[in-house]
Amino acid sequence: MTVAPQSLPAEAENISRGGFNAFAGPFWRLPPDGDIHRFALQVAPKHMNGSGSLHGGVLMTFADIAMSQVSRKVSGAPGCSTVSLTCDFVGPGKLADVIEARVRVTRQTRTLVFLSADIIAGERILAVATGLWKIV
Amino acid sequence: MENRLAMTLAPPFGFIQTELIDPFERHIGPIFEQGVKGARRFAFIVEDRHVNMRGVIHGGMLMSFADAALGQAAWDVCDHAHCVTLNMQSQFLAPAKVGDLVEVLPELTRRTRSLMFLRGDFTVGGETIFTVASVWKILGQD
Repeated sequence: MTVAPQSLPAEAENISRGGFNAFAGPFWRLPPDGDIHRFALQVAPKHMNGSGSLHGGVLMTFADIAMSQVSRKVSGAPGCSTVSLTCDFVGPGKLADVIEARVRVTRQTRTLVFLSADIIAGERILAVATGLWKIV
Repeated sequence: MENRLAMTLAPPFGFIQTELIDPFERHIGPIFEQGVKGARRFAFIVEDRHVNMRGVIHGGMLMSFADAALGQAAWDVCDHAHCVTLNMQSQFLAPAKVGDLVEVLPELTRRTRSLMFLRGDFTVGGETIFTVASVWKILGQD
């Protein structure tokens, strides 16, 4: 699980260490693109809905994991709790897609981090999420 | 593993297991329900595979359960027409831990020809831990 599949860049780092993160994943951290933090998921059969598209729960889980990672990184705190998360489902994801979460920090205060994430598959946008994290 | 099987096989008292079609919902389930079509209450039991590194329920699991439970309610409302989630707003009020029973009775706020507005308060032992408002599209209706 520590070696990235060939569909991912060799620098991809597995961030799924256990619990729901591993059960729903694995999720990967990619090298940043300027001030954009990047994460990846390869869509597997377990991630699908009955219509053959990526399940919305996977998109929200991916958004939550990616933005939580960034809130911990920028705050330096051992943990951050999701307070709120809003997700627009813009387009369907497909089996075997490598989807990418591109996360930006909107604002950071002493106790809170405001974040947004675009989830894309190549040129296509699948979801747009924003959220608020409490630094604990 | 035996412990997990023991926990997942028996529905809580008064509940039956919901028939799930989506592979991801079968992966995270089982999900349980009680009540009649249009007024079904849904529940799941928090297990080790549903928690984060701090040992409390993962936000992704709560949102995935919300999508599944409100999706079942949406399906009841539109009489099994094909519908998809357009938007979901989630607020995390308090943690849940392994062994907790998380319950929701989804509410229809409004239905138009092509859209459904559904919300839900998710409770553990009567305390609201998570709340969701969502918008659904009924496909084939412009």
